[in-house]
Amino acid sequence: MNQTSEWEPKILGLLCKWCSYAGADLAGTSRKKYPANIRIIKIPCSGRIDPLLIIRALRSGFDGILVSGCHPGDCHYQTGNYRARRRIAITKRFLEYMGVEPQRIQASWVSASEGGKFAEVVTEVTRDLKEINPNRLFTDERDGTKTTH
Amino acid sequence: MSETEQKLRIEARALLEQGRVDYIIGYETGSLKFTTTPLITTNKDDVDRLVINPFIVNNLSVFLRETSGKAGIVAKGCDSRSIVSLIQDQQLARENIVIIGVPCSGVVDLKKVERLTGKDRDELDDIIWEGDKAVVTIGGVKKEFQAREVLLDDCLSCEVPVPQEYDILLDEVGPLVCDKELSRSHIKGLEDMPPEQRWQFWKNEFSRCIRCYACRQVCPACFCERCFVEESEPQWVSPLPKWQDNLIFQVGRMIHVAGRCTDCGECERACPVNIPLRSLSKKMEEIVEELFHYRAGTDKEAPPLMAAYKVDEAEDFIR
Repeated sequence: MNQTSEWEPKILGLLCKWCSYAGADLAGTSRKKYPANIRIIKIPCSGRIDPLLIIRALRSGFDGILVSGCHPGDCHYQTGNYRARRRIAITKRFLEYMGVEPQRIQASWVSASEGGKFAEVVTEVTRDLKEINPNRLFTDERDGTKTTH
Repeated sequence: MSETEQKLRIEARALLEQGRVDYIIGYETGSLKFTTTPLITTNKDDVDRLVINPFIVNNLSVFLRETSGKAGIVAKGCDSRSIVSLIQDQQLARENIVIIGVPCSGVVDLKKVERLTGKDRDELDDIIWEGDKAVVTIGGVKKEFQAREVLLDDCLSCEVPVPQEYDILLDEVGPLVCDKELSRSHIKGLEDMPPEQRWQFWKNEFSRCIRCYACRQVCPACFCERCFVEESEPQWVSPLPKWQDNLIFQVGRMIHVAGRCTDCGECERACPVNIPLRSLSKKMEEIVEELFHYRAGTDKEAPPLMAAYKVDEAEDFIR
């Protein structure tokens, strides 16, 4: 794929149902504009995020992953977001060391009342990803393997 | 036979005779010169085969979960960390293990000795520690080498030559020689590369992987009853050894053992295609220490890394 001005990154959004998903809903109902690059999956809690999901999303061709949950202290299950933070922190740092651009793994705290913040976050993440190349990490020129893009 | 070895045999025999343990897990002389192999026995007459020498490389704690009942285990400083880590994860009960601590002067990397002397292992007569020097005898002639020239890369980053957790401590420890910079020189080299080059490097390495899972089997921290690579719903990785799946397997494994891995280096030694896995595990250990000030296997009362949190930590990457 050539990187052209038309290139639009594909972002996987994993949003916690108690805060960020509701925040995304609010962004919609309050007619906030944000890039249509994000594909959202509702998850029960950011603590649900297994680092393998992040790696698998990269393998299947997503340019970036945004995990979003409740602000610290606001988790519906008390501590899920704190646990998520540890997991995502090591995943991000470790993949960075292996050669994955740090922009690809993103996280945010967005509450149910922060529709505006959700729109900003998606705008920023999209902008960050446009600065780097499309995800070709797992493509293989030799055997013609293509990621599903 | 060294004095330490003598003490070990006496202690091991006593443990078995008094019925304080059902098993002894230790090292015996391997079939090749300058190697050792694990010895797991219930028979008190076998204890005379136990050895302590500069080649007791294996981390025996991996066998603790395979023996039932009480086990007496020979442990170096680094191995005791793995045992503590297993206790933290409630994989072992402390009262079921008798740790026979061996103060370790470091394990000699035979390849390095062979390279330095230009001789094959069969041409070498003896290799022993004398203080912080390794003395190699070749045809009756003694040659001295600095410890940092012949130590295993793992041992170069050693911090705890004496087991921190033990029931019986066999001896005094020799001088600790370590060279942290030399030990992480490969990681440093990778960190200095641009990201694409780094990815290319790992891609090349993992294209050699044959997915034998030796790294997983030998790892004391890999104790899942069912590994994610064998799950079929969802199928996280394809069973075919394609580099993409090989890489995902290893990344997944490294993330799973983060906070358990003590960087013992067994995975790298077990790897039949010489993938530099310690450059991953050591980096993960560094990341964990930097972010959470946590070192695996140093405190048996501490909760496992991923089962705990602090309110204020690692916030900087979150929007």
